[in-house]
Amino acid sequence: MTVVPATEQRPTKIACRDVWKVFGRQPERVVERITPDQTSAQVLEQTGHVVAVRGVSFEVQPGETFVVMGLSGSGKSTLIRCMCRLTDPTRGEILVDGQDVLKLAEPALREVRRRKISMVFQNFGLFPHRRVIENVAYGLEVRGAPRAERLARAQQMIELVGLAGWEQHFPKQLSGGMQQRVGLARALAVDPEVILFDEPFSALDPLIRREMQDELLRLQADMHKTSVFITHDFAEALKLGDHIAIMRNGQFVQVGTPEELVLNPANDYVAAFTKDAPRAKVVSAAAVMLPCPPGFDPAGQPAARADAKLEDCLPMIAAHDGPVCVRDEAGALLGVLDRLSVMKALIV
Amino acid sequence: MTSRALPLPAPPLLKRFAPLAVGLGLAALALALPAGWREFPAAWNLGLRAPIDQLQSTIVANRETIPLFQYFFDPLSAFIDWGLRLAENLLLALPWPAALAFSTITGYLLGGPALAALSLIGPVIMGLFGLWEPSLQTLALMIVAVVLSVAIGLPLGVLSASSDRVDRVVRPILDGMQTMPTFVYLIPVVVFFGIARVPAVVATLVYAVPPMIRLTNLGLRQVSPPAIEAARAFGATRWQLLFQVQLPLALPAIMAGVNQTIMMALSMVVIAALIGAGGLGRQVLVSLQRLQVGQALEAGLAIVLLAIVLDRWSEGLSRLDFSDTAREPVKALAPRWVPARWESAWLTAALALRRLAAGPAHILGTLLGGRDLRRFAGVLNLALVVAALLLLDLLVHFGTFPSAWRWYWREPTDALVRWMRDNLFEIPVGGLLIGTGPVSDFIVIYMLNPLRTLFTEVLPWPVTVLGAAALGAWAGGWRLSAFAGLGVFAVGLLGMWPFAMDTLSQILVTMFFTVLAAVPLGIWSSQNDTVREVLRPILDFLQTIPSFVFLVPVIMLFNIGRVPGLIAAVLYAIAPGIKLTDLGIRAVAGEAVEAARAFGSTRGQMLAKVQVPMALPSILLGINQMIMMVLAMVVIAGMVGGAGLGLEAVNGLARSETGRGVEAGLAIVLLAVIMDRITQAWAARSQ
Repeated sequence: MTVVPATEQRPTKIACRDVWKVFGRQPERVVERITPDQTSAQVLEQTGHVVAVRGVSFEVQPGETFVVMGLSGSGKSTLIRCMCRLTDPTRGEILVDGQDVLKLAEPALREVRRRKISMVFQNFGLFPHRRVIENVAYGLEVRGAPRAERLARAQQMIELVGLAGWEQHFPKQLSGGMQQRVGLARALAVDPEVILFDEPFSALDPLIRREMQDELLRLQADMHKTSVFITHDFAEALKLGDHIAIMRNGQFVQVGTPEELVLNPANDYVAAFTKDAPRAKVVSAAAVMLPCPPGFDPAGQPAARADAKLEDCLPMIAAHDGPVCVRDEAGALLGVLDRLSVMKALIV
Repeated sequence: MTSRALPLPAPPLLKRFAPLAVGLGLAALALALPAGWREFPAAWNLGLRAPIDQLQSTIVANRETIPLFQYFFDPLSAFIDWGLRLAENLLLALPWPAALAFSTITGYLLGGPALAALSLIGPVIMGLFGLWEPSLQTLALMIVAVVLSVAIGLPLGVLSASSDRVDRVVRPILDGMQTMPTFVYLIPVVVFFGIARVPAVVATLVYAVPPMIRLTNLGLRQVSPPAIEAARAFGATRWQLLFQVQLPLALPAIMAGVNQTIMMALSMVVIAALIGAGGLGRQVLVSLQRLQVGQALEAGLAIVLLAIVLDRWSEGLSRLDFSDTAREPVKALAPRWVPARWESAWLTAALALRRLAAGPAHILGTLLGGRDLRRFAGVLNLALVVAALLLLDLLVHFGTFPSAWRWYWREPTDALVRWMRDNLFEIPVGGLLIGTGPVSDFIVIYMLNPLRTLFTEVLPWPVTVLGAAALGAWAGGWRLSAFAGLGVFAVGLLGMWPFAMDTLSQILVTMFFTVLAAVPLGIWSSQNDTVREVLRPILDFLQTIPSFVFLVPVIMLFNIGRVPGLIAAVLYAIAPGIKLTDLGIRAVAGEAVEAARAFGSTRGQMLAKVQVPMALPSILLGINQMIMMVLAMVVIAGMVGGAGLGLEAVNGLARSETGRGVEAGLAIVLLAVIMDRITQAWAARSQ
């Protein structure tokens, strides 16, 4: 997946502005009264209201995967439910292609859900009484696609996620990983512009989880769907995210690229996650390169791309005694990597 | 008295002695009050009787001109009558071989060979008893009542699942409909629909519809939230959500509701006969009135058979899975009882039979342009066989079940009953007389009479009212206390005080015997699988058999009076007590039992210290159920000399003194609801 450079001007796909969700008897009233220095625990104690999402703002660019990472109870699931209004936020704006989802009336909202946004669920959310193919075709069925058309499309999607031959089975006859492939196919079948992933792989065991992550990367490399992905697994966030938001107590602690988080954690909380991160896979050559030493002759020296991850540069550095050149896409020399700086970057 | 509503815990000493203090206080009050307070003041009677009788005679006289009847009840009545006649005529027009084939094949489709055998034997026995036509009449009544129950119950269930507000309104009404002894609403039904078959359907309907509503509601509410959320996320409308996701997923619960509805409707068969339903119920009733034990037993057995077959059918219906297109292939092994040398022949025959069975579906499928109709093969074959027999009927005229084939049980049964009456009534053992006569006398002289005297002649009415309030307070706090006290007071206001106290004494003695038998049996059954296996069919039988049927042998043994009603009520009520005790003890968490065993508990210690205390809520729930069933028997006991409220209600109905019936009915409902709430609160408290 490519990191979208901040300089490139494309219309923002999703923009959340100051989204709040308060649970309780009078959320509208309570949300007005919360002062910035009041903690959510204090609000709960004083008013009996739970502040699940607390003034969250972020933007997602077209085609990128935006990961929200947080532990249980951090409000991440509530946030993603607000985005397609399975839960109505208490305050804020959620713009998809510039249109505020929160202002939509029920029929318009339904249209958005049918065509623009689809969702993959943590516990799969499959319909146990429908066959795999009928599950996948569900989104098309509710928007009134003719039977032949929706079954053909569903068949295509089932093949895409590698479940050919399982069309006529029922969800309970499938393993967890296969069930989530059905969930994925169901989301893709409606050809949405945005896919919301609510901890889709949390219920799977580690090997299957890795397999599904690779599957998702493969699909995403072809389709470039704008995605919002919720997870509690930092390694998963690093692997899938173009941008990652760390969420805690309903607020974003830090938002950045995987590399930014790993190299510059905003506080101890973020650092606790990045400590064990596979840095070689995250940090790029450009981030650790040094300026060219005086009198350095790049000719004949091995070179690495600026956006190459350290993992890919390591064999080169190991094999070559001198510094390794770092060049941008055009081939211009940007700096050099030496063993010491690389080692420092890898051991925190 | 301590109250659960109090936020502060009462001092332990006060808490422990509060019941004693209240008891002493009430006793002192009983002594202090002058004799004039024994009886509830007659002047306070609300006098409901006259206006209700007035209303009824007005209705009867002006039926044609009152718009409510002209435009609502009469058309409704005509519609139900039309449906009933249609069902009856259709069933009776069926030649008997076609009916038997239909029953057998349906049984096979719904539950395999065993159910097929049951579905064949059941109707055949009804025919052999000479009860073919009454059985079909009862079946027609069942069909109409169940179809109407589903038509009413399903939408109401959906409505109360979709809105908590509706649910809050509907739930207490359903509670009322189910706790109310069935007899009670016969009276208003008779007022509005007269005496005939239609009110019988309506009364059955009122009784049978609550489980349909409840289980539809429950099933819809239990649909897994992820599935609903997913459907919403994909933009399903409310109707799409309901029909594509919620109803299909709630189907097992809804089918369980249909099953319950059928069972409830069947349990009304005899009572419905009281207000003019024909069929098996009428047979039981007439035989009972003539004390023809054998014939009543035959008709009762026919009801039980009908109940068992319909129960298994509807159970099979809820397990039916049309998704399974590819039928399981013939097993490569013959059953164990087939000798080895016949095995290959057996397998060939089985395969051929299967091909034959799949044939019609295959042919029809090919004719319809190559569609796969295999999953409908069973239904198709059923239709073909029945159609063939109908065609054959045009030539042969089978008619109703052949009258030459009879196998009566009535003579041997009557002989047995006579023998028991002659030989078991009094048996001298040494100097002592035992047998049913002395037992009956003992219960009357030493239990029923003293208790009745206590309530009617010793205790002043305010003490009884306060006692009920104290019980309510102890079980569930001040709200229940007020409800219980006011409820008992209201029984007095209805002018039913002496009758209610008589009934109360009977209920208490009945409960004493029921609990004494049910709880130990339940514990025993929980400890011993053999006991459980032996008890289970007996309990199922006791629960499906119409309550009237108990009365027949009991009356023969004990004569008319309060005791046969009491014994019939014990028999009727004992099943849920045993089942719930057993279930409660078996449900005690495995870890707790394991922990107790690890600490070296003996079986007795385990029972007394772990299992029974942990199962107490379930046992109390069983007691609650038993009280409700005993109360449901009050009216029936009234018919065989039980006196009290039951007799009042029966007389009200039989002599069409509606006011009197309504008063007695209301008093029964009040007693039922008070006892229900107190025991339920008690069960909740012990959790």
